[in-house]
Amino acid sequence: MRKATVVAVALLLIPLLAGAQSGTKKRRPLPPEFGRVLIGASYADQKFPDAQFDHWLHRAKFTCRVCHVDVGFAMKGNGTGIRQEDIMAGFYCGACHNGKLRHEDRTVFAACAGTFTDEEKESRCLRCHSGGTKGRQKYDFFAFVADLPKERFGNGVGWQEAEAMGKIKPRDFVEGISFKRREIEIPKDIDIDAKVPGMNEIIFSHKKHAIWSGCEGCHPEIFSGIQKGLTKYSMMEIFEGKFCGQCHLNVAFPMIDCQRCHTKPVQ
Amino acid sequence: MPHQAGPVTRRAIPVALLLLLSPAGASGSFSFPEPPPPEEYGNLLINRASAAGGVKPVSFSHWIHRQKHTCRVCHFELQFNFEANTTEITEDANRAGMFCGACHDGKQLFGHQKPEDCDRCHNGDLRRGAERFAPLWRLPEERYGNRIDWNAALAEGKIAPANKLTIDPSGEIGFSSTILLETVWPMVPNATFPHGKHTKWLDCNDCHPNLFNIKKKFTVGLRMGSIIERQYCGVCHGTVAFPLTDCGRCHPDMGKIPIYPEPASR
Repeated sequence: MRKATVVAVALLLIPLLAGAQSGTKKRRPLPPEFGRVLIGASYADQKFPDAQFDHWLHRAKFTCRVCHVDVGFAMKGNGTGIRQEDIMAGFYCGACHNGKLRHEDRTVFAACAGTFTDEEKESRCLRCHSGGTKGRQKYDFFAFVADLPKERFGNGVGWQEAEAMGKIKPRDFVEGISFKRREIEIPKDIDIDAKVPGMNEIIFSHKKHAIWSGCEGCHPEIFSGIQKGLTKYSMMEIFEGKFCGQCHLNVAFPMIDCQRCHTKPVQ
Repeated sequence: MPHQAGPVTRRAIPVALLLLLSPAGASGSFSFPEPPPPEEYGNLLINRASAAGGVKPVSFSHWIHRQKHTCRVCHFELQFNFEANTTEITEDANRAGMFCGACHDGKQLFGHQKPEDCDRCHNGDLRRGAERFAPLWRLPEERYGNRIDWNAALAEGKIAPANKLTIDPSGEIGFSSTILLETVWPMVPNATFPHGKHTKWLDCNDCHPNLFNIKKKFTVGLRMGSIIERQYCGVCHGTVAFPLTDCGRCHPDMGKIPIYPEPASR
């Protein structure tokens, strides 16, 4: 009897553990859709469609850590709990989208407002709150990426290469939002053993990550970072969006690119 | 004291069970469809938007294409989904070099340029190209599906499909471990899964993690009924890769028990 209960509980738990897998293939997001987040789904009293946030535009202009460390966005869509009042008070989107901040050759548009005319609703509110339909963004994806180096998967853009070539220059410091830091001393690459015999080993490059994410992007919340091997995680958890999967599921190059991490053949 | 069945009895039991279940199974999960002739196996008609757009559905033959390219070229690099009519293939996308247009560009192969070429794909004929099948009889023989042992053909060098177009597998896909899949029914012999035979054709992500999780026993719902319903192994096996009628290829101890009458040697 007790054994049966254990088995039943185990069977109930297995789907929770194996959420990434379904027996059929999923549709891959198209390049403009990769990194898209719809924000607002969780709010019962919302008067507008969900706000559509596409990572590709912002990541070409700012490093990850400006938003995810300095401004304080969570790493999961709808995980921040952004309210209109917060934005109007200058938090989250409102930290930059305040109608005052200068970026490149113009002033950044102001996001939410307490009152607005019908005309403003069209030109201002729906610019973000498009609900996943074609938004009223200023930029067209394909025109924007046309000149950037190509890459397999994700947005189809080699973001790292684009930065190295100087085609994009993501800002790492925004006056009034970012705080002054000492320059990062980049730690060494890490060689991580795959647990499965015969599986290529993983080379983790600190250099490639630290430029965009800083230290705080990952340490200590995602990876304790104190000592190699201290944070225990598995590919199963990564596929569920934990650890590396926090970014590499939906924003950074996707996990279909197995050999990009599993690079080092076992001897 | 458990009854120890001999090898013959062990093999006979699942078949007897299947036979017993077959009347009920006719409308249930164990009803196998009538197999197509070898030259139609793996052929499909793509009609996501064709008919609505006033053109005939596209006929696509896997056996024509898999002689020249491995699965990963189309299903990984070119991002064709595994289910017909779910990939958003459009003429514009093809002309831009995506999907079919990666090769069918009017330079390497016929493309969208000449009006007389339209009919070569948009013909609605599932048997299109059947006359090109006969020369394949020179390839190693198999019992079902296309009746071609594609693995042996590859191993013996009788076909040399390209493994990439532009996207190099950035590391060697050398993973080749064979895993044992214990069956749920006590009488059904265990199945084996050879990674090595699959990685010659596929990329890791073609199967992981959507179809199969990466940890043994953690793939929920993997059972024969789901496979026959074209999930898991059945995404390929049953329509393109060797069909499920060939029990013994995955369940070695079942031997060559045929679901259909044993085909005559060709």
